[in-house]
Amino acid sequence: MAINIYSISIAFSILFLLIVVELVRKNKLQERYSLLWIFISIVFLVLSSTSSFLDIIAKSLDIKNPPSLLFLLGLIYLIVYSLNTTVVVSKQNERIIRLTQELSLLKQKMSEKK
Amino acid sequence: MKILIIIPAYNEETTIQKVIRSINLKMPEADILVVNDGSTDDTSKKASQAGAKVVDLPYNLGIGGAVQTGYIYAKENDYDIAVQVDADGQHDPSYIKDLIKPLIENSADVAVGSRYISKTDYRSSICRRMGMVFFSFLVSLLTNQKFKDTTSGFRAVNKDVINCFANNYPDDYPEVDVLVKLKKKNFRIVELPVQMLERQGGKSSITAFRSLYYMVKVSLSLIIGVLRSSEE
Repeated sequence: MAINIYSISIAFSILFLLIVVELVRKNKLQERYSLLWIFISIVFLVLSSTSSFLDIIAKSLDIKNPPSLLFLLGLIYLIVYSLNTTVVVSKQNERIIRLTQELSLLKQKMSEKK
Repeated sequence: MKILIIIPAYNEETTIQKVIRSINLKMPEADILVVNDGSTDDTSKKASQAGAKVVDLPYNLGIGGAVQTGYIYAKENDYDIAVQVDADGQHDPSYIKDLIKPLIENSADVAVGSRYISKTDYRSSICRRMGMVFFSFLVSLLTNQKFKDTTSGFRAVNKDVINCFANNYPDDYPEVDVLVKLKKKNFRIVELPVQMLERQGGKSSITAFRSLYYMVKVSLSLIIGVLRSSEE
């Protein structure tokens, strides 16, 4: 198999999928956050291993160079996923603030009882 | 009528005792809660020496998170009125009585101490004044009520508003934002004239460098707030 954008994509998708599964298995990544990653690596694997399929979609979208479609998909996915990440961060930030407040109030109550 | 004075404080060791003492003098019936927002100086120790209750936050949450801590405390301990006073000595405690009067008479839910009558030589930079005019214009437009000083942190609220704040309070630069949110929930807000004193120590949390971020963030937050459904 020649080394080109397709073979590199295939190799990367497989490796990436294995890494994600391994991270989940070791409890370093929660299942709920792994789903989107597993989904995108399978999509990439399918698209890059069946180049004729990619060609058809690229043609119908008037994309001259089919691998560009891979780049486009990757880019869109990254943007969406980082938005998702900041949503998660916002929620966690809110919870941390609440926890800090509750903790400090509890400490104040305890010291008053002494 | 249980009254709580909430003083958010971040590195205010030079002024905190003076503020607490003058509140005690003017409002002996009120409890004072200092929320020490992760100060690195002796603010906490000095505040408890002066006889206030102190809640120590383990790190700097920012003004919104600190003030909200006070409101959660007020809710849990069943206070009827909470008054927010700055720790730097800008807010004259003699006006607290004026602020809580409309709440006791039940003619308003929130009273904001406004510095639009500035007989004192209250100095503020041109930048800050422009910001104040801009926000009072924006808030007046969004709420259909004329506001002259939207950035004042000197305010008194009743029990319903305490409960509301305990559940939800903006995390940074909350003063302006909160007015629009309260108005949307149909709370009655009055603005009362107070004289503001020159800050007696420490430095303003709003530096020139941050003012642009402040303007953009608060404006965005106000505009998005209007789009938000009122149940939230």
